Formats: sequence, structure tokens, C-alpha cells
Amino acid sequence: MKPMIQLKSLTRKFGALIAVNSLNLEIKEGEIFGFLGPNGAGKTTTINMLITLLRPTSGTAIVAGHDLIANAAEIRSIIGVVPQSFSLFPELTAEENLWYIGKLYGMGDTAIKERTNKLLKTVALYEHRQRISGDFSGGMKQRLSVAAGLMPNPKILFMDEPTTGLDPQSRIALRELTQELNKSGITVFYTTHDMEEAEKLCDRIAIMDKGRIIALGTSSEIKHMIKEEHVVEVHIDNAPDNTISELKKMPYVSSVEKKNGVLNIKVRQHEGIVFRLSQFFLKRRQKVSEIRVKEHSLEDVFISLTKKELRD
Amino acid sequence: MNYKKIFSGKEKIFDFHKIAAIIRKNFMVMIRDKARIIPLLLFPFTMIMIFGYTSGNVPKHLPAAIAVYDHSPLSERIQQGLHGNQLLAIRKEVSTEDQGKKMLDSGKIKVLIVIPNGLQEKIDRGEQAGIIITVDESEPSVANIVKQSIKHTINGISNEISVEKITSFQKSAEMSSQKLQNYNRATTNNYELIISKADSADASIEAANKKIKSMAKGIDDSIASPSTIPVQKVTASEPVYSNQSYLPETPAYLSSKGWVSALMQSSASLDSAKESVQAAAEIAKKEDEKLNEAREYKFYNDNLVEPGKAISRFAGYSPNTLSEPMVPEEKPAYGTGKKDIDFLIPSIIALTIFQGAIFGMGRAVAGERKEGSLMRVFLTPTSNATIILGTLLFYVIFEIFRSSFLILIAMSLFKIRIEGNLIAIFFIIVIYAAVSTAIGMFISTLVKSEQQYQGIATLVALPTIFLAGAFFPIQTMPKFLQGIAAFLPVTYAGDALRGVMIKGFSILTVSFDLLVLLVFFTLTLSLCFMVFKREVI
Repeated sequence: MKPMIQLKSLTRKFGALIAVNSLNLEIKEGEIFGFLGPNGAGKTTTINMLITLLRPTSGTAIVAGHDLIANAAEIRSIIGVVPQSFSLFPELTAEENLWYIGKLYGMGDTAIKERTNKLLKTVALYEHRQRISGDFSGGMKQRLSVAAGLMPNPKILFMDEPTTGLDPQSRIALRELTQELNKSGITVFYTTHDMEEAEKLCDRIAIMDKGRIIALGTSSEIKHMIKEEHVVEVHIDNAPDNTISELKKMPYVSSVEKKNGVLNIKVRQHEGIVFRLSQFFLKRRQKVSEIRVKEHSLEDVFISLTKKELRD
Repeated sequence: MNYKKIFSGKEKIFDFHKIAAIIRKNFMVMIRDKARIIPLLLFPFTMIMIFGYTSGNVPKHLPAAIAVYDHSPLSERIQQGLHGNQLLAIRKEVSTEDQGKKMLDSGKIKVLIVIPNGLQEKIDRGEQAGIIITVDESEPSVANIVKQSIKHTINGISNEISVEKITSFQKSAEMSSQKLQNYNRATTNNYELIISKADSADASIEAANKKIKSMAKGIDDSIASPSTIPVQKVTASEPVYSNQSYLPETPAYLSSKGWVSALMQSSASLDSAKESVQAAAEIAKKEDEKLNEAREYKFYNDNLVEPGKAISRFAGYSPNTLSEPMVPEEKPAYGTGKKDIDFLIPSIIALTIFQGAIFGMGRAVAGERKEGSLMRVFLTPTSNATIILGTLLFYVIFEIFRSSFLILIAMSLFKIRIEGNLIAIFFIIVIYAAVSTAIGMFISTLVKSEQQYQGIATLVALPTIFLAGAFFPIQTMPKFLQGIAAFLPVTYAGDALRGVMIKGFSILTVSFDLLVLLVFFTLTLSLCFMVFKREVI
């Protein structure tokens, strides 16, 4: 399948700082692509280049078949953007804002009316269409922003941290809306610094740090990239000391720690470990309430890859 | 690939549907942005109110005091005159100059007037006398007006005194002239009388002489032909001798004796006639002397005619023309009945347009950029030219509206009179609004936020406000300020508006100003295009 977006050594420098360092990436048609990374990683710089608001220092990208440098206007008419902050006119009503955006896309008044009504229903703002948008709540503003992004009936929707600052309910609503739109055929380029959100929403994820992509794939693929040992938690009422020393002699086990009635066993290989441990405790007739292999989160992946917390 | 090049595309450079949408959007935003529209509309209103009610108004009732050292009718008169001056509110007559000075220092009074001792005496002696005026100079323009006004009052009284003096001079001159005339008339009459007397004396001498001559002739004749002599009984045979003793008493002798006695009688009468002629000649000689004397008088008299006439001419003048032979008469250059506000309106319009454009354009680009709504516009296939032009046009239309609003208020509240063609005025307003908006737009495209915009805009607006000519006339400014003014569009807009609105010039007469404004516009707009960044950094 032809990629919807293709980054070709896309680079942007701000003076000595290389904000985006020679990115090569392909986003497939119809996927929700998550662009993850801490603040300052270069996510917004990348998205700004892709939405024609920032010139690359070198390299380029092909967006829906159009070259970023050569055909910016064509790209503009087939992409939709939901920016980080509310970027509509607070003095105008929901309807008027969409009317203006529609006009700038060169749409006729009837087409605008039709599309506005449809989109306002989609984003559940139809009842509020004649209200001044400056008076909207954060969630409503962001939904209106999505509607504005959808005005040109885009092939790709770029969403730059759209859930930042929203309450949990609004986050869920926006996420569901995004999924709905994706189902209707829109490719979504979604940046966030929320790992959980990315995991739940995105088909594929790229993790970015210091202008480079450090991991790319589905969330489980990324989680498997981690080289570090897995931890197996064994909830046991009372474990004699010799149990611990015996556990250490088991194959693949590298360390055992005891903490509040829980044994944290680090293993180099976690396949079949639950079975072998059950055998071990059964043999010694020790009562175990739970054996659980702790899975790596994207957070762990990030920390392991960058040696720093994601939300810094 | 050329990365320096602005993103290119197939969008129209000037898309008039989009321009219309931008204008409409700005209109909707503007009318709902109360914090912006109210000040923008209040500004022209406030300007016209301030200038309408203050221009042409001289200060009134400034607290003043008079220190009076001369208690004379003249002093009274000066005090009355000063009390009548609307500019002054004379609080009290202070007793000494020092006391007055203290009040001036404390700010209780702004003006101190001292009427010095011996004022009336000096004037009566015909000397010049001074009235001392001290004005609080802390407000120079007010101080100047006050000084001029007091000088005017005192000059008025001074002039009255001159007129009075001249009138009294004229009266005595009139009397002198009258006396001279009387004398003149008397001398002339006398002279004529003497001439007639001399004439009659001459005539009587002549007559007497004639008589003598005829008598003498009679005598001569009778000697030559005695027959004519009345002789009785005289015959020719009797010899005529003169000795009577022995002359026989002949008829001849008797006859000759009668003849002789007749002759002797004639001779006696001739003598008496001669005597009377002599007497007459005597009289005539006396008359002649008188005549000479009279001639002399006449000569002097004739010489006095010219001075007499001069005196009477002097007396005939109006005292006012003598004391004030010249009076400046004002003839309005551009229509009569103009008030100060009429002359200020062009500057106020120019100022209002500029203020509006500068105040409005902060939001237009810098504000929308900061707010993110400009980014939303950048995301659409709309060219920079369309964005710039649409924004510019809205503000130009808005400024036309504001200017019209201002002119309407000025016309309805202050009855201003506009000489020139309204279409020409409209044309100038449009061009100037375009220039101002373009300048605002240029600054707005340069900066990153409305706050930064305000800083730079203030820097540009300040010279414009003060050099617009509404507060100070440009001609009185020092050369370097005039030099700065030459680079401000407001100078040309003000000039063109004044030309058309006050002087009634046609649009062609102010075409130079318009040309300069168009050059400004083209330059600024080009700069806008050059610095207008579509990028978000």
C-alpha cells in the first residue's frame, strides 16, 4: 500500500539546535499513527512542517502524494489540523467559525451550511452552534477545533496533543471521536505525551526523543524491544530463607528480592516461568496466592531507551 | 530544492471571495469585541469634544490682583477697564506690590497689575507712564494670552486718553483759527476802507487841481482878451496906467480899476484854491501813508492764511483717525465665519485614522498570530496577498466609517463648515487610511505579540500625534522636527485634508500630497509582503 505520509530525511534546525534530525518515516493510509515523546522532543516541529507551517531546513515529506516544498497549497486543501491550543475566533459562534474556515477553503455557502451542520452533529455541538465559542468549555472548544479541522473533508487529520488540559471525560469523548473518524477512512497523525492514550488509540507508534525516532511499531512490538529482564511477582504468605536461595539456583533467574510478602524474581526468560514456579512451590507445599509476570509499559520502554522519565 | 522559497502552491494570489470573507469575519469579530470597538468609536467622539469645546476658547477668569499706588480718576478708569476684561477675575486690590507678589508666588493669583504713583500727573504733563504687569509664566501659552489681553486693555485706555487730548487740542486750535479769521476779516475791511478813502482823496485832489487849472486858465484868458473881463464904462482910448493918483477917473481907468480888482480877487481865490489843493494833497499824503501801512498788514495777513487753513484742517480731523490712523482689518482667506474647530478638523481626522489603524492592527496580525487563529488561516489554501489585502481592506473600511462618524459629530455639534468637495475628502481619507493601516500591518507582521506591537506602535504614533498639527502648528516647530514630519504620512494627509476642507482646493491641487501618500502606501505594503511570515515558530 502506498504510504499516506512519507518523511524523507526531514530536518529542521533552530540555530545550533537540531529540533528534528533527519526523520525517515512512513505512515500508512487509514491508520492512527501515534507520535510520542516528551515535551521538546520535536513532535510539534515535525507536525508543523507536515502541515506546511514551518519550512524544513533540509529533506522533505510527501503528504498524500504531494511534495511539502513544491505543493504546499495542495497539501493544505487535503489535510485537517487540530492544533494544541484553541485557535479559532473566540468572538465568533461555532457556526460562524466553521463558516469562515469553509470560506477560506473556497467552499460555497450551501456546501458550508451542509458540512457545518453535519460536523457539528458529529462533534456533538449542534445544539450549541449559535453560541459564542469563547464561552465554550475546554472539551467543547477542542471538539469545535476538530470540526474545523474536518471542514475541508481531509484525507489526513493531524492532531497535536488534542487532549492536553482536558478532563478525563472529555479525553475519552475525544478519543472515541478520533476512532470514529478513523473508521470513516481518515488517516490520523496523533501526537501525545500520554503513553496510555497512545497505547489505547494508535495502531502504530513512533517514540521520539531529541529530534530522532527511537522506537517505531505497534505498542506490543515496541514493548518487546526492551532488552531488560522481566519481573515475576510471587505473592506468598511466608517464604523461608532457603526458598530464596533455592529460587536463585533456578535457570534464567538472576535475582530474588523479598518485599512485603511479595517475592520479586527477575528472570532473563519469561516464557514458561509461571509453570515452572508453580511446580517449584507445589513441590515444597508452599501456599502461593498469585504468580504474575509484570508486563513492560511503554513508559518502561521509554525509560529504558532514554534513561529518563517521559513526563519530564 | 530551494528551501528559502516561500511555500508555493496553486492558490489564487488575490481571491476576492476569500477577501470578502476576511472582511466579514473581521467585521463580526470587531462588533463583538467590545473592549476594542468602544474605545475605537469613543476616540473620534472624545477628540471632537475636546477640540470642539477647547479650541478658540481663550482662558477665562484668571485670578488677578491690582496694586494701586495712584488714586486718580485715570487710575479708577484703568481699574474699571481691567475689571471689564473677561480674561481676568480680579480678586482684590492689594495694598502693596510685595503683597501681590506673595500671592502670585503662592498661586492664589496668576496676574499682578501695579498702577504706579503719579500716573495721572505724568500723563497730564504729557509724559509717558507705565503700568506694570507680572504674569505667572508657568503656563507659557496662557501667560502670553493674558499679557496680550492686558496690553490690549491698557492700549485701549491709552488711546482714549490720546483721543481726549487731541480733542482738546483741536478745540483750542478751532478757537485760534476763529480768531485768526476774524482778524483777517477786520484787516481786509480796514484795508478796503483805506483804499476807498485814498481813492476819494485822490479824486478830490484831482477835482481841486482841475478847478485850479480852469481858474488859472480863466485868468490867463482874461488877461489875453480883457473884453471878457467884466469891465463897466471902460473905453479903449483911455490909457491904462497903474498909478491911480494921477490917473484920471476915466471910464477906462475905472474900468481897468475894476478889472484889476477883479483880477486881484481872482488871484486871491486862486491862492485860496491852491491852499485848499495843498490841504487836499496833505490829506492825500496822509491817506497814502495809511495805505502803505494797510498794504503791509494785508501782506502779513495773506501770509497767515496758510497756517490758518492748516490749523482749521487739524481741527477738522476726527480725533480717532489722529490717534489711530491705521487699523488692521481682517479679511478671511478662506470663506467667512470660520471657527477654530473648522481649521482643526482635518488634523483631527488624520489623527483619528492613524490612531485607529495603529490601535486596530495590533490584533489584526500579531494578536491573531499569538492567539493561533492566524495559524488556522495559514492552514487553508489562502495566499498571503489575500490575507494581507482582506485584513487591510477591512480596516480601511472601518476607518472610513470612523472618519465619517467624526465629521458627522463635528457637523451636528459644532456646525463645522467644509469648503471642498466631499468626494475629494473621501478619496484622501481612503488613501490615508490605507497608508496608516499598512504601517500598522507592517509593524504587526514584524512582532510576535500584541504587547510587542504596542511598544513599537507607540514609538511610531507619538511623533505622528504631536506632529499632526492638531496640537502645534508645524510651521512653528524647529527645523529638525519639521524634518521628521517630512517622513510622516500624517504631514501629507493633514496638508491635503486642510487644502480641500478649508481652502476648498480641488483634488488636483493636492495631488502632490496624494502622490507622496501613494508612495508611502506602496512601500509599506511591499514591506508587509516581504516580512509577512507564514511560518509558526
